[in-house]
Amino acid sequence: MQRMKAVAFLSAMAIALAACGGGNNGASGASGGNVTLTIAAVKGVEDTGLKALAPMYTQKTGVKIKIVEAPYADLYTKLVNTFQAHQATYDLVMMDDPWMPKFGTIDALTPLEPLGVQKDTDVAQVVWDVGTWPPPRGPVPPSEKNKQKALLGVTIVGNVEMFMWRKDITPTGPKSYDEVLSNAKAQNKSNFAGYIIRGKATNPVVADFLPILWSFGGDVFDENWNVVFDNQQSLAAVKFLVDDLKAVAQTGPDTTDAAERDQKMASGQGYESSTWPGEINTAVLGPGSTVVGKVGFEPIPQGPSGKAVGMMGNWMLGVPKDSKNQQAAADFIKWMLQKDTQTTYAQNGGIPSRTSVLKDSSLQTANPYFSVLADALQAPPNWRPRTDQWNAVETIIGTELNKALAGQQSAQDVVTNASKQIRSLMKQAGYPTSQ
Amino acid sequence: MTAGAPGGAIGTAPAVPPSRGPFAVPARIRSGWYQRSRQERLALRLLLPVFGLVFVAATIPFVLAVVQALTSDDGRFIGADNFGRALSNDQLFEAIRQTAIYGSVVLPTEILLGLGLALLVHRTVKSRVLRAVIYVAAMIPIVIPQVAVGVVFRLLYIPDYGLINVLLGQTGNSQILWLSSPPLAIFAVASVDIWQWTPFVYLIMFAGLQTVPPESVEAAQLDGATSWTQFRHIELFYLRPLLLLVFFFRLADVLRVFDHVYILTGGGPGTTTQFLSLYLYRIAFRFSDLGQASALAVLVMAFMIVLYTVISRFLPADTSS
Repeated sequence: MQRMKAVAFLSAMAIALAACGGGNNGASGASGGNVTLTIAAVKGVEDTGLKALAPMYTQKTGVKIKIVEAPYADLYTKLVNTFQAHQATYDLVMMDDPWMPKFGTIDALTPLEPLGVQKDTDVAQVVWDVGTWPPPRGPVPPSEKNKQKALLGVTIVGNVEMFMWRKDITPTGPKSYDEVLSNAKAQNKSNFAGYIIRGKATNPVVADFLPILWSFGGDVFDENWNVVFDNQQSLAAVKFLVDDLKAVAQTGPDTTDAAERDQKMASGQGYESSTWPGEINTAVLGPGSTVVGKVGFEPIPQGPSGKAVGMMGNWMLGVPKDSKNQQAAADFIKWMLQKDTQTTYAQNGGIPSRTSVLKDSSLQTANPYFSVLADALQAPPNWRPRTDQWNAVETIIGTELNKALAGQQSAQDVVTNASKQIRSLMKQAGYPTSQ
Repeated sequence: MTAGAPGGAIGTAPAVPPSRGPFAVPARIRSGWYQRSRQERLALRLLLPVFGLVFVAATIPFVLAVVQALTSDDGRFIGADNFGRALSNDQLFEAIRQTAIYGSVVLPTEILLGLGLALLVHRTVKSRVLRAVIYVAAMIPIVIPQVAVGVVFRLLYIPDYGLINVLLGQTGNSQILWLSSPPLAIFAVASVDIWQWTPFVYLIMFAGLQTVPPESVEAAQLDGATSWTQFRHIELFYLRPLLLLVFFFRLADVLRVFDHVYILTGGGPGTTTQFLSLYLYRIAFRFSDLGQASALAVLVMAFMIVLYTVISRFLPADTSS
């Protein structure tokens, strides 16, 4: 039925595209001619570099690039509909790494290695792993256990959550979450938050919280998809966020999203927080910022478990199975992975994934976090649990955490309520989750 | 009479009682095709493509939703399972309760404010130019996209640098967490609705007031009727069907309110502002449970049909006889 509905929605678009499509299929190389690659991209800072590179590729090869942008929330729905309707609408798709389980499960993407995309060691292993389905480590969804592992996506936006602090106030950043808290207590004063919590419901608060959860030794699932969100370590992590950090955070943390966090940091109203690479040059240190040169970046600090675990949010490029220009699309990915292309990409606002480019000293002044990002990718960071139920799980945890940040319930309520809902959800979805 | 006055086409309507007004239908209803005149048959033929398009556009998604509600993801018929799951979820009833609270705040406020404003302008503003200015001013909130309105109000209500909190701070008062406290969050999202849609009620009511025969009002005034009596016994009589219509439109909007709430609070704090439409979105697109979401959509649709049927009974459908 999903397919029928998607067909109904997409038929008009498909007819239009079929009428004006280039008609180049399968084995065509990037030899130009009439090939037009249509790329579905997320609208925002993430596709800035891609938009800059596209004309260069056309000039070099003659292959035309058409970038179709959509906001984050729309892009996922559009891609799922397109894949389920088996429409050849896109030749390349930009995808956030938590989307891989869904796209992998429905066999929407074509393996890239047979098309000539080769892994190399200048790119962190975790970057290849996150684009591989089924996942090479961690729990694998029951329906995917017998599938052959294949590289389905290549990172074009290296994105690992990091930590930022005001280095003009304390020259060295916190190395542990104990230090995060003690520094925040020391710095917290009127109109200056010791810690800025990104606490808006669902995805935002979960993105801020997962590195804390993992660094405290907690998790959402164990290796067999049993829910461990209500164990002692997870509870300690929740308490740390909703009790300890909240006490030294900005007012109304439950309404704060990334834009507000960046605004507070950029206007000098906060001491420390987590951050994503994509926010740094455009917002934290962007036009109008009063803290340029005053903010330090480092990997996520260590938790009581002794681990310091960042979270990935890589944006990847994949080739849909229904694309009629698969080889040309793979050739574009190969070109994007070349070192000189990645350097140009970084110079044009892109966030590369190649270690040698991230460590390139000529790029550090304009991108003070590149070197830290390279280290964070090597650490390696965690990815969000590889299940097509993740959106729902994230919504459950994010809503419960948000309630606690708004003062509506305790940390214990968060883990109890969220765990109960997640167990029910996973059982219903056919996972071997015990009650 | 204010022919050509602000209020548009409805405002220029002749002064006729409701029994012959916009809700009246021809006294002689002829159902047979050949009993109709040639002009009537031509008119129906010309309308057929439009009716067909509306029928297809409205019916196909509904039929698909019903089918989806009765089948699993792999297309198996599963009866009322999706309905059962939808109705057994406590969060559904919480969403209904929150929607009811939201509706009970915005609907009376918008209708009373819009009606009051219309009466005020109708009775006190006689200048055509000024009425036109008010008409344009009332149109502005209606035509602004709800997403933009949500962003602007977020910039008003947000802690620390939100305009209201900045002003409070400058006057020595402490901040108010408009979007964090549950009752205030409801008020904050309701205020956006009230700001945007009170003008809509005003425009409809103002247009309705133009249909009140001035001679009736003048006669009442000569008899010493007070403003309240004039409203209660003359104007309200003409406005009653419009009030019901406005109530129905606004109720339908309340049940599908989404954009500005999503931007202002995302349904938070917790689930305080997770109204029915946000809950439906959550089930469909966050939980990817299209079966349950379709079942919910069908239930909401059924509720609206029942409600509309009840409200229709109070509309003067055919009073010409």
